[in-house]
Amino acid sequence: MSDLTYSQVDRDILRAMQAPGRLYYVVFFANLLVLAWGIFAWQYTIYRGLGVWGLTHPVMWAMDITNFVFWVGIAHSGTLISAILYLFRVRWRASVYRTAEAVTVFALLTAGLFPLIHLGRPWFFYWLLPYPQGGGLWVNFRSPLVWDVFAVMTYMIISVLFFFTGLVPDVAVVRNRTTGWRHRFYAFLAQGWQGTDRQWRHYKAAYLFLAALATPLVVSVHSVVSWDFAQSVVAGWHSTIFAPYFVAGAIHSGLAMVITLLIPLRRIFRLDTYLTQTHLENLAKLIILTGLIVGYAYVVETYIAWYSNNVPEWQRFVYQVTGEYAVLFWIMILFNSLVPLLFFVKRIRTSTPWLFGISILINIGMWCERFVIIVTGLAHEYDPYSWGLFIPTWVDISITLGAFAWFFFWFLLFAKFLPVISIVEVKEELPPPMKSTGSEA
Amino acid sequence: MEVNRRDFLKIIGIGGATAAMAGCGTQPPESLIPYVVPPEEIIPGEATWYATVCRECPAGCGMLVKTMEGRAIKVEGNPDHPVNRGRLCARGQASLQGLYNPDRIRQPLRKGTDGTWGPTSWEEGEKVLAARLAELKGRGGRVALVTPLVTGSLDRLIDDWLRAVGGGSRLRYEAVSHEPLREANRLAFGVAAVPFYDLEQAELILSFGADFLETWLSPVEHARQFGAMRTYRDGRMGRFAYIGPRLSLTGANADEWIAVRPGTEGVLALGMIHAILAEGLATALPASEEAAFRRLVERWTPVETAEQAGISPDKVRVLARAFARSRPSLAVADGRTSNGTDICLAITLLNYVAGNVGRTVRFGPTAAAGRTSPYREMRTLLQSMEKGEVSLVLLAGVNPAFTLPEGERFRKALEKVPLVVSFASFPDETAMASHLILPDHTFLEGWSDAEPWDGIQGLQQPTMRPLYETRALGDILLSVAKQMGLQQQLPWEDFPAYLKEQWKGLHRQSGPAEDFETFWARALQRGGLFRPVPSRPVRLNPEVFRHRFEAPRFAGESEGLTLIPYPSPIFYDGRTANRPWLQELPDALTQIVWDNWIDIHPADAKRLDVSEGELLRVQSPLGHVELPAHLSGGVRLGTAAVAVGQGHSAFGRYAEGRGANPLPLLPAEPETASGSQPWIATRVLVTRTGRRHLLASTVGSDRPHDRGIIQTIPLAEVQRLRHPEKHPHLLQMYPEHPHPKHRWGMTIDLNACIGCGACVTACYAENNIPVMGKVQVAKGREMSWIRVQRVDEGASHHPEHRFLPMLCQHCDHAPCEPVCPVYATYHNPEGLNVQVYNRCVGTRYCSNNCPYKVRRFNWFMAEWPEPLHLQLNPDVTVRSMGVMEKCTFCVQRIQGGKLQAKAEGRAVRDGEIVPACAQTCPTRAIVFGDLKDLDSEVSQRSKDPRRYRVLEHLNTQPAITYLKKIIAGPVEG
Repeated sequence: MSDLTYSQVDRDILRAMQAPGRLYYVVFFANLLVLAWGIFAWQYTIYRGLGVWGLTHPVMWAMDITNFVFWVGIAHSGTLISAILYLFRVRWRASVYRTAEAVTVFALLTAGLFPLIHLGRPWFFYWLLPYPQGGGLWVNFRSPLVWDVFAVMTYMIISVLFFFTGLVPDVAVVRNRTTGWRHRFYAFLAQGWQGTDRQWRHYKAAYLFLAALATPLVVSVHSVVSWDFAQSVVAGWHSTIFAPYFVAGAIHSGLAMVITLLIPLRRIFRLDTYLTQTHLENLAKLIILTGLIVGYAYVVETYIAWYSNNVPEWQRFVYQVTGEYAVLFWIMILFNSLVPLLFFVKRIRTSTPWLFGISILINIGMWCERFVIIVTGLAHEYDPYSWGLFIPTWVDISITLGAFAWFFFWFLLFAKFLPVISIVEVKEELPPPMKSTGSEA
Repeated sequence: MEVNRRDFLKIIGIGGATAAMAGCGTQPPESLIPYVVPPEEIIPGEATWYATVCRECPAGCGMLVKTMEGRAIKVEGNPDHPVNRGRLCARGQASLQGLYNPDRIRQPLRKGTDGTWGPTSWEEGEKVLAARLAELKGRGGRVALVTPLVTGSLDRLIDDWLRAVGGGSRLRYEAVSHEPLREANRLAFGVAAVPFYDLEQAELILSFGADFLETWLSPVEHARQFGAMRTYRDGRMGRFAYIGPRLSLTGANADEWIAVRPGTEGVLALGMIHAILAEGLATALPASEEAAFRRLVERWTPVETAEQAGISPDKVRVLARAFARSRPSLAVADGRTSNGTDICLAITLLNYVAGNVGRTVRFGPTAAAGRTSPYREMRTLLQSMEKGEVSLVLLAGVNPAFTLPEGERFRKALEKVPLVVSFASFPDETAMASHLILPDHTFLEGWSDAEPWDGIQGLQQPTMRPLYETRALGDILLSVAKQMGLQQQLPWEDFPAYLKEQWKGLHRQSGPAEDFETFWARALQRGGLFRPVPSRPVRLNPEVFRHRFEAPRFAGESEGLTLIPYPSPIFYDGRTANRPWLQELPDALTQIVWDNWIDIHPADAKRLDVSEGELLRVQSPLGHVELPAHLSGGVRLGTAAVAVGQGHSAFGRYAEGRGANPLPLLPAEPETASGSQPWIATRVLVTRTGRRHLLASTVGSDRPHDRGIIQTIPLAEVQRLRHPEKHPHLLQMYPEHPHPKHRWGMTIDLNACIGCGACVTACYAENNIPVMGKVQVAKGREMSWIRVQRVDEGASHHPEHRFLPMLCQHCDHAPCEPVCPVYATYHNPEGLNVQVYNRCVGTRYCSNNCPYKVRRFNWFMAEWPEPLHLQLNPDVTVRSMGVMEKCTFCVQRIQGGKLQAKAEGRAVRDGEIVPACAQTCPTRAIVFGDLKDLDSEVSQRSKDPRRYRVLEHLNTQPAITYLKKIIAGPVEG
């Protein structure tokens, strides 16, 4: 990288923003189609009622909340990479953090939909917000769902601010190279950036400040999400390990998602110079860590289920590993805590196909983990008479696929409209261009 | 035109009254009822109650009907009525859905020459009938009139009328009948009647296949007696053993199930007599009779008996000893095999030997059920119809095309009759085979009376204006008679006039201490006239000692399974299969809804390689049906049971095409002695079809899984529980709820609960609970606020069922409350866990966090096909799609009771406020009241040493206290 020049960096990174090719359009519209189908499935749900989902009497949450937790989890790696690694001055983050942060914002956009979608009467979603109202109606601050509203909204606001603040110097570069409506668009995003010393000083201070604000969110948001479950009486949900367990799981899945997205991005936009194998390898090393934490959580859960001598708890565990959803449980064990151990082997963590494959497996495994926690807990609760089974319908599946399409919709737009790698931070890594001795003419 | 203020008010007033009258009819409640001239008895928002009689089965329970704005919206038992004392079964509760059934016949219909039905007018319809009758008059006996077991005035009018129009055969046909019992009593005592069985006084009841908690004689009455008999006092409670090849719901409530071979119940009774005599326990028996009895039962030594019945000889001796030593004991029987009369006779003799006749078996009062026409007469009618000897058949309220084994043949025979007139309210199989339908009112719309037992005259009065263009059967008969010029013989204007005339006779009999109008008004108010009837002594007919007891005969291959069809506790003989509430009510033993199935013993299933839910071909020599298999240890090895009631080919949208009717598999020969129809009379070959059938059930797992949800205690240990165990009170972060005035609570005595499900249907009726249908129930989406959970605690293949009504526990520390983000559910100052439908956004978190799983979510917008919506209780919100709902402890009744007390300036009295479930519970297992009132029954009961609360360790502090079921163990002698 060190042989790059500033102008080369500008050219390389901005090349990704050139007019898209056929492939892009095909992918974009195919994705749009899936999104439209998902929206249709949601509208159908609103029209007919939640009965069109596979939910049943004991299992009143299933794929809806699974998707919510999954996407909130995905969001976490972005903040980890952009804020925490920034504060720790980890150099290699420069090339990956923009994409990771975009993943955060778009994953939150997706996750934020599910609390709405899952409501029986989504048109009253605003009742979950504490707003002054003549009748004196208020939200119940004892409810973890209200904590959720605050946690996710706070996270959303900070992430968006952080994302756009980091973009300011970069879009200024783009602004300078565009005309017409694009120019006006980027000019707005650049907020009058001129690159003066004063601006740089303020920018750096603001960025550091936001990074410091965002850092606790990595821990708090998913902890709060985990309390949706841990605060309840449901056997298999009511557990004190949930907060750290969920945070580790969130980062685990988020890192995997970042790898899943970076590898094609690097390939398509020919960014190998910037996104080197080292970057991916570092992410893989992080995955080993989170994978071990997640695996530890699985072991502790099992141990406690046995050690507690609590009949419903233990029976639920047995059901989890042998019942109707057992396949998903074993997928979760295999993909989340065993497969990532392969990254101990250097050849595997430096091989792009291996990385890509394993990252996708982790994504699947983490989705299954949320599903298994939510559904098996509810399916075999305290009253055996009321045990039941969730079987997804086409609507459940369509809405889930629609959510992925919604995420990719934003991500595809992002890839074409904003610099996918931070120009500024990459330049920071380069030797500053010196006035050449004498040849400056 | 000049209108002054007074005139204006008059006009308004007349208009108002007219509008109000309209409001009392069939109009949906759209028009406002002005108050200028309030119509009598209609105060908007205030209920008017009418006493009447339930006619859903021949038991004749008294009923109170709650009407609001001229619509019947709820039925309850009449507390003054001696049969049911304020309680009703599920079928009675669902009678409203007969009244408001969307498939009712709404006007006279006539079948055209092309076989299609078209409307006709009443004048036209009655003219056709009158003309036909006039034509046949004098040709003698070419008319047949079939009714169910009608009692009282209508019964007499029908007889009078038939005589007046020229005579004919009159049948009182009931598919579920007690002719063997009647015949047995005739043989034993020379009294052809069904006596009164006093279950309440018995120390030990042995039921030989009599399902007295479900369909036998008078189920609500027997359930109450049974509940009282099983009450625990001073270390003792009444004992009960059930004998028969199938474990019915009644059997599930027994201490012991003795699974004898089908048709050998009588043998066991004779063997018991043998053992009683051998051990010298028949102390009440005169010496001469004892010797005769010894000769009669000589053959049936315990070993021989045990051999024939398929049980152990010791069991025979133990039962005999216990039966003779319990003073009094009681044996009840139902003879549904080809030797049904012999079985009933053997059991009658057993009662006699044990000295029960005159004590727990009393002739006086005797049951109207003893006055049915035997099945043999239906068969005779069928044959005469086929021979063309019948020119006119009148069918009122019967469905022989469905309930006869030769139903199809009956339907075909009807084609040979020139005119078949049906008075059916519903388009059932028989009505569809008629030529003319002159629809009768449902019993909630018309006048009548009923006499289920001697001395009990229930008065049936209309509770609302007829919904459609229907006419009462009595009115039709009188009107037709008038058209035939028979005013001389039948001078009454209409049936109510006839009825009143009859009651004038009763008035004279009862001693006219008051004038007739007062007497009549009181009878209407109380629901009838109830007089005690002295019990007549009976003497044993010595002829009985010459009786030859026969073995049961079964058609079909000997390697087949013996088929046990039984009347469904929910659909009786099929007549209530078109009530959606009943279709959605889980069968007590299988918890299956909207279907029927064949119960097969798991060992037989293994032998036949049959699995649960597999569609089977059930073949008898007479035909075959297809039924899904349900594996159950509740049938004796080598037998298979099917409920009768489903499998309608016509009977409206809710009944049609569900399961199969097993009756066509049965041989048609009547039982020789009594002429009844033997139901357990064939063996069937069961073969696999390879297809599967979805059986929708509400049960997740029916095993206890060590959760302690249904708790029991051995009888011997109850006494040791002297001091009530204190409910544990675990640590709690938040302050306790204060409950300044009331704390509503409930106790449920599991020792009294028989699992009948009346509470469930009562709750549906009271609380506008929607019916979801089979597919949704299969997905676990039934909406019931109260359910009767069944758990099988027995060893494999030997079920021991326990029942527990589960409803919202109204916890003090309700897990549902803190998790609701919008306060849609909260704890109110009276201890109710309240659900605010309007505030609910539908996160469903409350349901996930409810350990009792009693919250229901509105998955769809509920629908009530017109006119079922007229039944909706105006005091209860109809919930919309997307909100959560659950038991409210009938908050509308609590509110009503409190307002009533306040208006009268007094405190709420204990027992004044009763939720629908507790109100109807036939055994008074459920008691509701104020826990702050320390003298209230609920407070007293919740101090019972047997108390426990479900899932107590979760510290939910429920308001419902359960009392453990007492396990007495097998009968010891």
